[in-house]
Amino acid sequence: MGWTGTIVNGVLLGGLYGLFGVGLALVFGVTRIVNIMHGEFIALSAFIALGVSSLLPDVHPLVLIMPVVIVSFALGYALQAVLVNRSMRLPDPLAPLLLTFGLSVIVRNLMIEGFGVNPRHIRQGDFGQLSIDVFGIPVGVLPVVTLMLAVTLFVILQLLLRRTELGRIVRATADNAEIVRLMGVRPASVYNIVMGLSFALAGVAGLMLALRTTFTPFSGVERLLISFEVVVMGGLGSFWGAMLAGIALGVAQLVGLRLNPNSGFLYANLVFFAFVMLRPNGLFGTRQ
Amino acid sequence: MKKHSATLSTLGIFVILAAAAPWLVGDGGVALLFEVLLMLTMAQLWNLLAGYTGLVSMGLQCFVGLGGYTTIFAANTFSVSPYWVLPLAPLVCGLIGAVSAPFLFRLRDAYFSISTWVFAEVVAMLVFITPGLGHVTGMTLETAREIDYETFLLANFWIAAALAAGVVTGIFALLQSPLGLGLLSVRDDDVAAASIGVNVWRNRFIAYVAAAAGCGLAGGISFMAALFITVTTAFDLNWVVAMIFTVIIGGIGTLEGPIVGVAIYYGIRALLTNVFALSGSWYLVTLGAIAVITMLVAPRGIWPFIRDRFGIELLRVSRKLVDDLPHAETNAITSKTTANSRFLDYGSD
Repeated sequence: MGWTGTIVNGVLLGGLYGLFGVGLALVFGVTRIVNIMHGEFIALSAFIALGVSSLLPDVHPLVLIMPVVIVSFALGYALQAVLVNRSMRLPDPLAPLLLTFGLSVIVRNLMIEGFGVNPRHIRQGDFGQLSIDVFGIPVGVLPVVTLMLAVTLFVILQLLLRRTELGRIVRATADNAEIVRLMGVRPASVYNIVMGLSFALAGVAGLMLALRTTFTPFSGVERLLISFEVVVMGGLGSFWGAMLAGIALGVAQLVGLRLNPNSGFLYANLVFFAFVMLRPNGLFGTRQ
Repeated sequence: MKKHSATLSTLGIFVILAAAAPWLVGDGGVALLFEVLLMLTMAQLWNLLAGYTGLVSMGLQCFVGLGGYTTIFAANTFSVSPYWVLPLAPLVCGLIGAVSAPFLFRLRDAYFSISTWVFAEVVAMLVFITPGLGHVTGMTLETAREIDYETFLLANFWIAAALAAGVVTGIFALLQSPLGLGLLSVRDDDVAAASIGVNVWRNRFIAYVAAAAGCGLAGGISFMAALFITVTTAFDLNWVVAMIFTVIIGGIGTLEGPIVGVAIYYGIRALLTNVFALSGSWYLVTLGAIAVITMLVAPRGIWPFIRDRFGIELLRVSRKLVDDLPHAETNAITSKTTANSRFLDYGSD
């Protein structure tokens, strides 16, 4: 496989990374909360998907998206309504961050207790290994599906925020939570929905991760870092920025691994640094 | 000065207790206290950054790891006792902190936090792929064999005790100085601080380099005592996670907070693992739950909660406007900010 293949696969991997980051970007853009739990939730979703797939063994893995999305949305909504909104009332901006920090430690360790630390994977027949030949480059079907799914979700999210009543309310709340109160909107309810959406996106990301590779309760931390990088590079609340950032990181990682198989995520991290030094506000950050 | 004599006597009692510790608590106790004191040091340094200058770092594990690697690598390379090369750890870490700070400071708030974590990951990976640093197998401290193990343990404990006392006293003294007043003002409102002539960037830079050097020294001591280092243990995210935990549970932006936090951190561990024989993950679940409850009930931490209830103040760094302030410079700043007493007397709101 030549360099073209490496880059094509990097772009496809970037679809998954964009998906990791977009939910975090949404919450950060609207509520200004840095949700440390995001990575743990991606890992938890992988376990939820594993649970659902063992209940419904004959169903195609991609059909799992619907139940995972519904469960994730409900969890995100409940989390925001029960805990995070409480901490947002405090004057200290650090409180919600530290709250989600505490939650992430709880969730990770409960997963360790409940599921053990051995790597798991979803039995899915040969879907994960399927590959097609595009101009002589072998391309995995699953990564292509992931990228297409990511793009579809981004379009839906964009339409939801730009064209619908709910989207207008969410954007208005993001701009000024005090003023929307005067218009009869409860910011807390908006935040519930936004956190639900963010968890639903993380849920899909977790499912795609589970289909792509093995996972453990520790998978979350690493994905949190990727999600963070995607948000920072993409710029606040910018979804296309997140997508492009994901792709940049995916390509950098695979090119780096080709140059030095031991380098792990090093090259992607270096690309991140070079980028934020040049554009501290992210790709599309100047808009806000 | 009454305040100074109280501080000195507290320090004196600590020195006596630390000196007598091997006879008071035995070998097991010394090993535990060694860990506790290093954790306290690191928590105070994280608090110096997050609590006093608003720099929420998620990457201090970078300096813990670098300090450990510097000490073991230098001791092995020069074939000398690790004690001779221990000063290199804070030196190297302070230098790397100083060089990286101008870049990291370009980013603010959450962006800064994330970038410090990425920076730590980059450093960890560079150490991992650099030839001669052990790669996956790690490095063993070879020159420690010449030292009698019993003496080695005790010496390490006393060094850790000295470091913890030094860091707490140092931060205490710093916060009483004009520079400390500048730090407190940066914490409360960096824009307002800058507008009355506080050099925000310089204050943050000094605090960052100090924290880097301090964590480097703590890491050096920790891994010197462990006799062994690998990339996974040295640059473990859990270093900074523990620092954050202890500080937020205890009380961010106070000197007593990290002490309370570290006591809870190790107290709960002893209780759950020794008394109830639960696994380490249940211990962390409990800690997480304590952090969540603290954030909801007493978001400024347990120490400020107790202090406001009972009006105790042990290591007072907050300033009362009626005080006879010793420094002309301090007075100049004070007179400009009398309108906003919260700015100076942070403890009583």
